[in-house]
Parts: sequence; C-alpha cells; structure tokens
Amino acid sequence: MDWNLLFSSYSNVFLDPTVLLMTLLGAVGGVLLGAIPGMTATMGVALLIPFSFGMDLIPSVGLLLGIYCGGMYGGSISAILIHAPGTPSAAATLLDGYPMAQKGEAGKALSVAMFSSFCGGVIGALIMTFLSPLVAKVAMKFTSAEMLMLAVFGLSVIISISGKSIAKGLISAFFGMLLCTIGLDPTYSKQRFTFGVTSLKGGLSFIPVLIGLFAVAEVIAGVERIIAGRESAQAKSTEKITRVLPDGKTIKQIWPNILSGGIIGTFIGAIPGAGGDIAVFVSYAFNKGVSKNPEKWGTGIPNGVAATESANNGCSGGAMIPLLSLGVPGDSVTAILLGAFIMKGIQPGPMMYVSELPTVYKVFAALMLANLAMLIVGCAGVRVFAKIVSLEKRMLYPIILVVSLLGAFSINKNVFDVGVCVAFGVIGWLMNKYEFPLSPILLALILGPMCEQNFVRFMDLNHGDFGQIIHYPIAIGFFVVAVGVVIYSLINQQKINKREKDALAKAGVGDVSFTQE
Amino acid sequence: MELKKTQTKAFSNLIASIVLLAFELWAWIQSGKIKTAKNAAVQPSTFPRIMIIGMTIFTVVLLIQSIIKLSSMKAGDPLAAKAESLNFIKDKGVLSALIVILLCCVYVYFFKSLGYVVVSALLSGIVMWMIGLRKPAPLLLVSTLVPLGVWLVFYKFLSVNIPMGVLQFLRDLVDKI
Repeated sequence: MDWNLLFSSYSNVFLDPTVLLMTLLGAVGGVLLGAIPGMTATMGVALLIPFSFGMDLIPSVGLLLGIYCGGMYGGSISAILIHAPGTPSAAATLLDGYPMAQKGEAGKALSVAMFSSFCGGVIGALIMTFLSPLVAKVAMKFTSAEMLMLAVFGLSVIISISGKSIAKGLISAFFGMLLCTIGLDPTYSKQRFTFGVTSLKGGLSFIPVLIGLFAVAEVIAGVERIIAGRESAQAKSTEKITRVLPDGKTIKQIWPNILSGGIIGTFIGAIPGAGGDIAVFVSYAFNKGVSKNPEKWGTGIPNGVAATESANNGCSGGAMIPLLSLGVPGDSVTAILLGAFIMKGIQPGPMMYVSELPTVYKVFAALMLANLAMLIVGCAGVRVFAKIVSLEKRMLYPIILVVSLLGAFSINKNVFDVGVCVAFGVIGWLMNKYEFPLSPILLALILGPMCEQNFVRFMDLNHGDFGQIIHYPIAIGFFVVAVGVVIYSLINQQKINKREKDALAKAGVGDVSFTQE
Repeated sequence: MELKKTQTKAFSNLIASIVLLAFELWAWIQSGKIKTAKNAAVQPSTFPRIMIIGMTIFTVVLLIQSIIKLSSMKAGDPLAAKAESLNFIKDKGVLSALIVILLCCVYVYFFKSLGYVVVSALLSGIVMWMIGLRKPAPLLLVSTLVPLGVWLVFYKFLSVNIPMGVLQFLRDLVDKI
C-alpha cells in the first residue's frame, strides 16, 4: 500500500471546500429523505444524480455517498420515533429503538443510532481502504449455496425474536415467507396467488407492507387505547436531552455490538445482492446470540440499536468493495454510483487499482467524509427529531397515519399500495392484539425472496439433488452456526418463559377462578 | 376475580389456530392452481407449499397447546390471563379502531378522485376529533396544513406526482411559481 498517496488523497478530499459542502448537503438530504417512510437512500441517490452531472468526480461521489450514509441513519429516526422504518435497512432498528422511545428514551435511542451508524460507517470505510481486494475475493466465492445458507442463518434469529410463543413466531415467519411468493415466480414467471389482479403480478411491495404492519397498526391500536382509557392522548415525553452523543457508560456497553455489527455489515454489503436490510438481521441475530442477557433484547436496550445501525452503515463501505475492485455493484446505490463513474470516464474493476489508484483512495476518503458529515447532521438534529415524540398523541397519530399512507403510495405511485398498506395495518393490529409477533414477518419478507431464488437456483444447478450442498464448506459453516443459534435460542426462550411465569405467579396474575360455559 | 375460560388467552389461541387452519387449507387449494414448469427441478408451487406446510405444523402445535391449557388451566399461567376482545358493542376502544379501519378504506377509495390533500385532511381531522382534539382552530389548521405541507415536499422537492383530485389547481399554481 502506498501510504504517501493514501494520506495525500485523504487530505485532498478533506481540505477541498467543494467536496466538504457537497458531502454535507448530501448528508442533510439523506437524513431527511431516509426519515420519511417510503423514501429510500436509493431513491435519493437516483433523484440527485442529474445534479452531479456538471461536477467533478469526487464532489459528485461525495454528494451521492452523503445521501447514502445519511439515508441509512435517517431510516432509523422514524423507526425509533413512530414505529415506521424509513428504509428497509432500518427495519430491525425498531425492535429495540421503538421500545426505548416508549420508555421515554427517544433521544438516547437516536444518539446511539447515530453514533453506531457513524462507527459502522467508519469500520466499513477502513475495511474498504485496507482489505478491499481480499474481501472482494471471498465475497465473489458466494454461489447460490452460500447465499441460501446465509439467508437460513439470518432466519435462525426468528426463534429469538418470537417473544413468549415460539409457535406463534414461526407461524408469523412462515406467513411472511408465503407472502413473498405472491406474484410472478422469479424463475419461470408463473403467476402465484395473483387472483387475476394485475397489481399483484409484481408481488407485494415491501415498503407498503412494512408501513402497514408497523405504523398503521400502531395508529389503530393507539386510537383504541386512547378511547378505552388505557393511554393518555396528551402524553408527552419528559426526556431531557443533555448530550447528543451517548455517554461513556453507554459506549462501554455497546462497543462490542458496534464492532461486530460494522464487520458483519461490511462483509454482507460486499456480497452482490445482499444489502443493509439483510445485514441488520444477521447482526441482530449474532449479537443477541452471544449476549449474556438475550432476554433483554427487544425490550428497548441500546445494544439492539447499536448492533443494527452499525451493520447498515457498515454496508455502505462493504458495497463499495466489489464496485471498485471488481466493477460489480454490491447494491442498488452502488449500481447508480457505477453509472456515475462510467459517465466520468472511469471504469471500476481490477485495473482501477493500477491505473486510477489516486481516485480509488479519494473515494475511500469521500466515504469517510460522508460518515463524518452524517454524524454532524445527526448531532444537529437529535434534539429536533426527539421533539416529535413530545407531540400530543391526538395530533401525532393522525399525522403519522396520513404521512405513512403517502409513503406507501410514493414507492410505485400506485393507489393499490395504499390499499395493501391499510390491509396490513389491520393484519398487524389483529396480530398485535392476539400476541402474534410482527418481527418474524418482517425478517421473512426480507430474507424470503433471497431464500427461494437461491434454493431454486441451487436445485436447478444440481439437478434437484440438495445433498450436493455438502460440497460447499462456507454454506455448511453458515448452516452449523444457524443450527447452533436455534438450539441456543430455544434453551434461552424456555428459561425466559419460566422466569416470566414465576414472576406472574408471584404477582398474582392469572390467580383467577374459572367458570364453565 | 372470576373469569370464563372463553375469555382467556388460551381460548383466543384456540380460535386463532382454527381460523389459521382454514386459511392454510384455502392457501393449499390455491397453490394447486399454480401452473407447472417443464423440466424444472423445483416447481413454482413447491416453495409456497413448503411454507404452507410449515405454517400448518406450527398452527397444529398452537392448537394442541391451547387444548391442553384449557383442560388443565392453573393459576399463574400466562395463558390464563384475560384475552383482548373484538367485541365492538361492549368495548368502545374496539369500536373506534374499527371506525379508523373503515375510514382508511374510504380514504383509499377516494384517494384518486378527491386527491391526497382532501382525503388526508378529512381522515386526520376525523381521527383527531375522535381522540379528543375538539378545539376548532388547531383541529382545522393541523388537519389541513400537514397534508398540504407533506404534498408540497413530495411534489416540489422529491418529484413524486400525487393525485390532487379536486385541488388540481394547486399543482398548476405551484408549477407557475
């Protein structure tokens, strides 16, 4: 590695006012876009790419990476505050982020999310700087077998996010996987469960389902609670935000989650076709699995937010690795970035490290800068964002409802999606009411298509012989770890249920007599 | 406290598992209607069917668990707690939730013809009124300005073309400015 060139490239980028301004503008736009349910970082990058046409390469890359990194963090804001992830990559953040906000710790959750996003992004950028050719080599060894088992590993977390009833969690997960099969079959284009509805041919859009299950269902349940007198319409958060970054004690508590999340995110981001939405669940599964207190996960702890947020921002660095070293985009945003490079006359790929090394290093520096810009924007916004939860519920719920429904519409500009969103709002409300966990559906919706496509591809390549999987050591490794996670989660869940049962018996709940009908 | 067994969480689980079994049966029948592909190692209906079988297995587990719990219910069992109700006649909360759902369905129906701003102002206004915001000034201001502001952001800055229905003239006005 040419250290002199690396340092001079970093200093050129960090001292260029145009790059600084563009990256900061990108981060502002990204955070705001990401925070709107239905608006993703990909949309933001696609929206702003025409503005970058007239710029030099590095300022335009800074602008686009600023949106990318800002959007990754922005998605967590709405996940934490209103139970509606702004982007699919923030889907797992609501598992602990929203309960933290409910406990009056919205500011803390936001600051942990922001700090973890920054650290995850920096980990991704560092790995990209020093290890990109090596990571790209391993990532490109991933065939359908490894991808299938990666999805299985991600799905192994279902048991641990199922809550009190594993049976209900698994029913939810299988239901979610079944929902993924609606539309044209990805291999042979045969219609499945479309019932002649044209809008269903493309399958259910993920964002409207997500918004419906979480945001709309929460509004319906909230109105029910207020009218039934179980919640105050005027409830206001009393949290005083004295600092915008987490304190030393919290950082000490979450740093292992940040570190592992960042590494997991970077590696998964480097695999073409796997992005932040998958990385967050794999990171959550891993961190919960190795935690000493797994029963606390999902109840609103900063570790859960840190594990997911560091993973999704780690992906930004990871996704750049195959783009720069192989010319293969790791996700949709880097696919757009590939277009930007080609427009500027630079062809990413192995030769880029030979012929365009200064540019490669400048891109590394731009990613680092984008993460720094995201941190600055996040710090400036934490107090403002946290104010949202201190709004009166009787104003907040209707506002969430109309913004969420518009978010569902904006994805495909299709009223059908608004209907889907409402339908899943009702399903989510009923599922919450009867204690069927929603998170396994979310996980299944993300990993289901990846699971099916790679299963079909693997079976086709191996003439229907699934036993051939034993010839794929990385896949077997993922499978073994997945089985380990499932066994560990089952034992753990039994312990949690026993502890809760004892606590309920002591409190006298269920101390009732029964009459026959 | 005296509780009927039909009011417990165990009983609601029993009902839920019966409803789910009916759904799974229906989904299985529907999966039989999926066309087959020639020379395919995995048919298009295989994956959905695996999911239906998985769902059915755990629904049966839930059904058996509920029956066992109902037959030997003990104090201190979490499933002996009172289940949530769907009785909208006795429970005002459920009634209000159903009204919100109904309003959302009407919202979807009129989304295109009346336009986002009008239907959203009506929906948010009615929900605000339902949950206790009765002062006309904040009710009218919030319910009209929020959808208008959100539309403006989406239309002007994010280039998302949202149906405006009867307020189409607003778009023309914004375009002129």
